[in-house]
Amino acid sequence: MKAAVLREQNTPLEIEEVQVSKPEPREVLVRPVAAGVCHSDLHFLDGSYPYALPTILGHESAGIVEEVGRDVTYVKKGDHVITCLSAFCGHCDKCLTGHLSLCQSPEVSRRADQQSRLHQNDEPIHQFLNLSSFAELMLIHEHALVKIREDMPMDRAALIGCSTTTGVGAVFHTAGVEPGSKVAVIGCGGVGLAAINGAAIAGAGQIIAIDIVESKLELAKALGATDIVNASSGDPVGEVIEMTQGGCDYTFEAIGLKATAEQAFKMLCSGGTATIIGMIPVGTMVELHGVDFLAEKKIQGSNMGSNRFRVDMPRFVEMYLSGKLHLDEMISKHIKLEDVNDALDALKTGQEARHIIMFD
Amino acid sequence: MSRLEIESEVTGNVWKIEAKAGDHVEAEDVLLILESMKMEIPVEAPCAGTITQLLVQEEDAVEEGQVVVIIETDG
Repeated sequence: MKAAVLREQNTPLEIEEVQVSKPEPREVLVRPVAAGVCHSDLHFLDGSYPYALPTILGHESAGIVEEVGRDVTYVKKGDHVITCLSAFCGHCDKCLTGHLSLCQSPEVSRRADQQSRLHQNDEPIHQFLNLSSFAELMLIHEHALVKIREDMPMDRAALIGCSTTTGVGAVFHTAGVEPGSKVAVIGCGGVGLAAINGAAIAGAGQIIAIDIVESKLELAKALGATDIVNASSGDPVGEVIEMTQGGCDYTFEAIGLKATAEQAFKMLCSGGTATIIGMIPVGTMVELHGVDFLAEKKIQGSNMGSNRFRVDMPRFVEMYLSGKLHLDEMISKHIKLEDVNDALDALKTGQEARHIIMFD
Repeated sequence: MSRLEIESEVTGNVWKIEAKAGDHVEAEDVLLILESMKMEIPVEAPCAGTITQLLVQEEDAVEEGQVVVIIETDG
């Protein structure tokens, strides 16, 4: 099969012939139909998050089951599925207390002494986040996918595989936004826009979108933002506090920077909660003013929207099909696998929404 | 030559050991791979040297800041 291989950080992905192993008893071979090119892929390409190489990036996809391992009963050949990096074991403390996205069990991966799921002749290729969706086939654990209804368009379904689940999930699950509350979202990329859409669905009273790209702020308004702040002229904290007459109940940081994480905390009213969704580079420290804790301001992380994706993703499909969840606007271009480097370059400029790879 | 302690930057599990005590390594050589939050994170040699102690085994749990390898640096 063809796959886009990352061999060295900060170099273009190479389209190469790669082999995929036969499914183990609990594995599923999926033929992706669509795969989103996500900003998180860039973090691993540029090395702000180190990853074992060579690897095949891509972690936001939807496809059709091609083959199942002998113990798999949940799906069969031909089922439509969304993949998810939050592969869960189902029996650790985190899973059994309902925090499936925090499962750390290594049993959803192959062990180091087993044949790698992906390889090129004798050279193992590291699977990216147990998925690697920039490839014509994906061999994944059965707990890394969810069945969906077949009338759901696959390009839209792919978005649910990461950005929607991360952004909407942060609002619904991690923060628990209440109807009528005041919300600010810093960063209007795919995840930030999903958080804005999620806040609107949750019934937030005021939703402030913050970005430095005017076109993204306009898109944010279409997805439910009640107010916008263009932060290109400076620190947006004062403006947000003024607009909300004292600060927000909930803020979301969807970029992954120290400065914006600190801004998210400063924008809170007493008792407010800042949720950091963005991937802040490894080794970066975030500084907060200690006295703010006396006002019961809180800050927390959110990983993949604290999802229970086998429950959440079919619900997001229904929300899309009923018109509540806006996915059409999130896609700026459909591309071929061979054009993946152009899509990654476009992400670096921050000017566009998502490119979706469509497989033939 | 000096003794250099190499720490894990994250909490996770040792997925694969890529080097052994006595090996000479170059800067950026992968010494071991950790699995943390579904990511395979390499621990690399920061400079050339010889591994004197490998303090973890495959499938061990490691904490952020834990010393996993000690090398005697060249020069």
